Amino acid sequence: MMAVGISGYGIYIPRFRIKREEYAKAWGSFSAAGVTEKSVFGFDEDALTAAAKVTRRALESVPMEADMVTRFALATTSAPYLEKLLSGTVLVSVGIPNSAFTSDHTSSTRAGTEAMLAAFEHVMATQSGKAVVAAADAPKASMWDAVEHAFGAGAAAFVISSDNLIAELEGHFSYASEHFGERFKPKDDPLVRDLNVKKFAEGSVVRNTTSAGSALLKKLGRKPEDYQHVVIQQPDARVPVTVASRLKFTDAQLASSLVSKTLGDLGAASVPVALASALDAAKAGDRIMVISYGSGAGSDALSFKVVTDKKATVRVQADTERREYIDYVKYLKIKGAIQ
Amino acid sequence: MAHVSVPMYWRTIPQRYKLIGYKCKKCGAVNFPPKGVCKQCQSSSEFEETHLSGRGKVHTFVLISAGGAPPEFAEQEKAGGQYPVAIVELEEGPKVIGQIADIDPKEVKIGMPVRTELRKIYTEEEVIRYGFKFVPA
Ligand SMILES: [Zn+2]
Repeated sequence: MMAVGISGYGIYIPRFRIKREEYAKAWGSFSAAGVTEKSVFGFDEDALTAAAKVTRRALESVPMEADMVTRFALATTSAPYLEKLLSGTVLVSVGIPNSAFTSDHTSSTRAGTEAMLAAFEHVMATQSGKAVVAAADAPKASMWDAVEHAFGAGAAAFVISSDNLIAELEGHFSYASEHFGERFKPKDDPLVRDLNVKKFAEGSVVRNTTSAGSALLKKLGRKPEDYQHVVIQQPDARVPVTVASRLKFTDAQLASSLVSKTLGDLGAASVPVALASALDAAKAGDRIMVISYGSGAGSDALSFKVVTDKKATVRVQADTERREYIDYVKYLKIKGAIQ
Repeated sequence: MAHVSVPMYWRTIPQRYKLIGYKCKKCGAVNFPPKGVCKQCQSSSEFEETHLSGRGKVHTFVLISAGGAPPEFAEQEKAGGQYPVAIVELEEGPKVIGQIADIDPKEVKIGMPVRTELRKIYTEEEVIRYGFKFVPA
């Protein structure tokens, strides 16, 4: 079978950062385990502006003209509209043909890998197809709710095709199940809720991620030690460590992708940005295991083999180091939380 | 606020989202935004569309602070403080006006290289009006 994979990638981390100490001053505590600071979109940014930026960066990294794209998939849990095609804004702004098939993936933080798998299906079905996946997110909850503390902002995009591969897709496996009460938006409310039943929620995360991950290892006849990098959904900086250890991956394998420590929870863009960070660090021959998670609940596991030392121009680390700290009052103003 | 209806805004999408310029078929000058008659040769009104790179240099700029912002940008100024508005000379020649985003306003300099990217400009009638701003290149 023809090899398909990632031919280019681009990331964007907004410039503003808020430190955990700012939350501690305002609220007496900070609930995001292992997160020391997080990224924040500017007042004039949202999931679509960030998606447009990373789409352009991903195409430039190949390099590929936007008019070659035949499939565009967008992922976010912070859509600026509850109803309206979102991908059209990005398609027009980047110059992707109006005839490209687009899809919006918005209902859980699994959306990033959901969009990637949609892109892979397109390229596997149409060999000459060129797909772009853009995941951009800045999850939003009430400032009164502890679930808000972890929420950061960021974006990543991938060009998916059968040419000029940086990393080849070796296989994937998904797992879905029924869970509730953890990270959801009720009908008619755009803010994330969480009933904060910690043990129950952790049970769902562990069951879905390890089911998908171990099934994929078995399918490929691999062991955790065959991988140099493991990328796991990062609602904070502790959950991925828990999941990794359950699957017998080590902290060293997790190190190249643990972006949540300084960026927070990037929602549907969590795994995509973390994967870009692993690609930045990877050498030709390395293997990367990717496991996403979305509450409700489901996981996608994808296995990649890195085939070149080619990198994107803008590295995750470089964009992360470009920062301006803001205090909690400015954070509230930018977020529009003061009406 | 100067009301811009949804259809009026929509007609400017080629300029606001993509920087489509209009190259004069007689003298070759790139007009942006579109003009009835070429502003260079003042004689031709035939153009072909050309996709501008969005890259250029800051020609001049001002910082807009409290009270100086047009009503549609007042909310932005209140949330984010003063913001730079620049005239940028694009690689292809035209000078265009736009905000500079993603920078500490104190760091804006004449001559600095910038490029366009999509941002939220303002919201009217609960419709987000997207368009280009300049960011450091
Ligand atoms: Zn002319």
